[in-house]
Amino acid sequence: MILANYLGAAAVFGVGLYVVLSRRNLIKIVMGLSLMEASTYLLLVSLAYRRGSTAPVLESPPGGLSMTRLARGNVADPVLQNFCLTAIVIGVAVTGVFLSVAVRIAQHYRTLDADRVRELRG
Amino acid sequence: MSTTADLAALLPLPVAIPLAGATLAPLVARIDRRAPLVVGLLGLLGAAGVLVGIAPRVFGGEVISHYMGGWVPVGGRAIGIAFAADPFGLAYALGAAGIGAVLLVATVSELGDLGPREIGGYACLFQLLVAALIGTALTADLFNLFVWFEVAALASYGLTGFFLERPIALEAAFKVLVLTTLASFAIFVGATLLYANHGALNFAQLHAAVAGHPHTADMVALALLICGFATKAGLVPFHGWLADAHTAAPGPVSALFSGLMVSLGVVAIARIALQIYGPVGGRPVLGLLMAMGVVSALAGAVLALAQNDLKRLLAYDTVSQMGVLVVGFATAVPAGVAGATYHLIDHALYKSLLFLAAGSVLHATGHEKLSELGGLARRRPVPAIAFMAGVAAIAGIPPLNGYPSLGLIHEGLTGSGRHAVNLAMLAAQVITVAALGRAAYLAFFRRRDAPYEELQPQRPGMIVAFVALGAACLAAGVFPNWILDQVAAPAAASLLHGQVYANGVLTGHVVLPHLAVSFDYFRPGELLTVAATALAGVLLAAGYLRIAEPRPIRLLRALHTGSVNDYAAFAAAGILCAVVVLTV
Amino acid sequence: MSRADPAGQARAHAPEPIHRPTLALVLALGVAAALSAALVGLPRERAHLPAIARYAMEISLPRWHITEPVSELVYGTRGFDTFGETFLLLAAVVSVTTLTRRREPRQSRGGEERAGEREQAEVDPAGGAATPAEVRARTAEREEHDGDGEEDADSDSDGDGDGPDRRENPDAVGLGVPGPEDAEAMSVVVRTAARAAAPILGVIGVYLVAWGYTPGGGFPAGAVLVGVVLLVYAGFGYRRVAPFVRPGRLEAVELAGALAIIAIGVGGLVLEGSFSANFLPLAAQPDTILSGGVIQAFSASELFEVSTGLALAIFALLAMEHDWSPDEEAE
Repeated sequence: MILANYLGAAAVFGVGLYVVLSRRNLIKIVMGLSLMEASTYLLLVSLAYRRGSTAPVLESPPGGLSMTRLARGNVADPVLQNFCLTAIVIGVAVTGVFLSVAVRIAQHYRTLDADRVRELRG
Repeated sequence: MSTTADLAALLPLPVAIPLAGATLAPLVARIDRRAPLVVGLLGLLGAAGVLVGIAPRVFGGEVISHYMGGWVPVGGRAIGIAFAADPFGLAYALGAAGIGAVLLVATVSELGDLGPREIGGYACLFQLLVAALIGTALTADLFNLFVWFEVAALASYGLTGFFLERPIALEAAFKVLVLTTLASFAIFVGATLLYANHGALNFAQLHAAVAGHPHTADMVALALLICGFATKAGLVPFHGWLADAHTAAPGPVSALFSGLMVSLGVVAIARIALQIYGPVGGRPVLGLLMAMGVVSALAGAVLALAQNDLKRLLAYDTVSQMGVLVVGFATAVPAGVAGATYHLIDHALYKSLLFLAAGSVLHATGHEKLSELGGLARRRPVPAIAFMAGVAAIAGIPPLNGYPSLGLIHEGLTGSGRHAVNLAMLAAQVITVAALGRAAYLAFFRRRDAPYEELQPQRPGMIVAFVALGAACLAAGVFPNWILDQVAAPAAASLLHGQVYANGVLTGHVVLPHLAVSFDYFRPGELLTVAATALAGVLLAAGYLRIAEPRPIRLLRALHTGSVNDYAAFAAAGILCAVVVLTV
Repeated sequence: MSRADPAGQARAHAPEPIHRPTLALVLALGVAAALSAALVGLPRERAHLPAIARYAMEISLPRWHITEPVSELVYGTRGFDTFGETFLLLAAVVSVTTLTRRREPRQSRGGEERAGEREQAEVDPAGGAATPAEVRARTAEREEHDGDGEEDADSDSDGDGDGPDRRENPDAVGLGVPGPEDAEAMSVVVRTAARAAAPILGVIGVYLVAWGYTPGGGFPAGAVLVGVVLLVYAGFGYRRVAPFVRPGRLEAVELAGALAIIAIGVGGLVLEGSFSANFLPLAAQPDTILSGGVIQAFSASELFEVSTGLALAIFALLAMEHDWSPDEEAE
């Protein structure tokens, strides 16, 4: 029942969103976004899954299959795995920028409370 | 035929050349502090050069495409990534490269005195951003579109927070990060849903899969994609980041954000809603876009009217202009779509001009609050003239460029029977004129007897940029039918004939059907409308200067609490509404 | 230098508005439900692979001579996405180094700088005076150092962590001594473990990039190699990794890697008529270090870009100074 994974991903996405919407600490907001990011990884890997499939690797295929047979056989979707790799890189990149901005905000505003970091409003 | 294929093979170069420039910029910064900006200028001019080489074919009404690495579609299914140049994307890409180059010239004047490493980073990010904009305009692959969207987003973070001595720059960077990251999730999940449902990423393949009878998942994907790109476009209710980012960024960066990067969202929405999904039977996609556009146009204009910060005021005006653009595209009739494409270019020109003028005021005086400015028409005549030219262009005063594009959008609205929307557009126009007129009066024409404590000298690069952008505004206003024939009408043909565009993407070459859109410059109705909105705007500005802030405006501003939680909540609510509207 | 009413107290904690958690819950549930509604309608585990995924599997051996379809997609058939991703990472690294940079001498003072000074005074009226919590923390830190019987408090304000007064490692300190750890290196257990793990991880990193046709490639390899540097940093302190993490040199290698990736793409255009097409000879066997032609070159260039870029960003974050805003401790 891979559907459970799909719905689990949606639930984690919702939890992350809840954190982003309700926590005022900037670091917690970043954590909430990381949680949402992680839920997309779960979604991608689950969507790539096929029943009884092997990894999309042709090196030494299981069950004595030849490499060309495996290429036509039952494997997980390599395209979605490719996307998942991309998503992970983006997640790392964005988190790095987030943290540097958070440190600079702490230096200027002397707080990480989103309600006190709002000089710009209206 | 081989010449078409050879020409199309050059399509990745307008992206690769600025990327190479971006890579070199931090290195050459070690040699000389101005060198990164020169490299950047060369990179963007190189990109523009390649695009100009492709332009005659594409603006002649053709779509050409190329598959990276030669991985052409097999049986109509494409694993390879396509770049396709259609008149719509090419117009935006050319604007990005050309205006980007002008903004770098302005940067030499305004930021040329910074430290070499700062300038190296700045030039690198600037070029990465422009290259990503060109990539989004040319790509015909949904996941590739997402990648370029992310490149643009990451480059924009560093540029937003560039002035580390300004606390508000970092506050803005954080809000931009949160909202853009949410947008990227929406786009990513939307793209994933479409791939999982149809096994397709190529725009042509997606068009074949979803245009006829979309499933629930397809409509949720559409809602997510629209919301994600609407965040980039700063449409209400996804606009929380926009005003903050523009307030604090360096002047040329604000111009780049407002003139070009924000429009990326509208370009992508137009592509996805019109070209890929096409006229989806029964589903109110166009209605949703129309509603978002009208609300953005009005709310942005009202918020602009009430601002005290010059760049923030212009930023809210960008929200309003993006609303006007989306309304134009959502008419889905030739005049409206051609007018919106035209307006997209116009907006890039005059908003860059306005932000450069505002940035040069801040750079010279150290002030950007209207209450602290004044008397600049006498002390700084060049930015004053540039600002007034931009205001006149937005107000649609002939012979400047706002006149024909706004006229076409109005024509598209009335022609398709949307008179109420047209009235809302006119109201937004009046408020826009009032907001900018008020700003111009307070900053430039109001008497200020106290001298400024320090006034930086005016440098030549900025004047070059003002003249270039101003001349372009004038040219785009004086030759409307040339622009319509050469750019806007073919672009509308490409957007409105998604099937033909899809064929072009798949086969590498297609000729678009001819769309006849023309603009009568001296039509009395349109001239009268412009005169009436301009006059009403000036009167409104004069009246608004004399009264205290009215209660509805105060309440609207109070909604913009400045808290990133609240802005994210607006965005989440927007996503929810869009999903409900499109699926139920 | 002691100011009584720092910024933190003037803007006292407003109570959390009651609507926020409720609204957040409603919106989060709504979005999760909307996603679920879409996901329920998707094809599940019994569906056929999409045609383009099947095609990617089938061309892996005959067209690329490579046994790893994911690497084939990442660096080959859909290599242009990775091309964009390279510059996404570059944008992130340059954003981080820009946001963490130190003050540089400027030729003139622009209006933005003056506006910034005014705004700093607005957000922090105390002008950098420490809040009571900060005063307490700093006093405690000072007492720690004074307790060592070393010099006065001023000598440890360098903050870099490589001051001469710091102990090399904590092994000499008895167990159960209270207070923060101020040694540069970690204990003998950690150092021994790091000594054992670092070479193994290093070999794994190189293996991942060299034999990218089994799962691997430049991205994970670069991440593993940065992990090695971080392990050494954590175990032995900054001084041991300092020779490797000079920003000037790292940046040059990073940008060279990115340029090489552009060159590979343009090479395909010039030699084969299509950007990022393969122009290198494919090895006859799929299991050699040169299998995959341009895929291997792309992956190796990616290794340089990713490892140096990540190292640059991480150490830029760690070396961040307090020099853009007033702070009474920073001299």
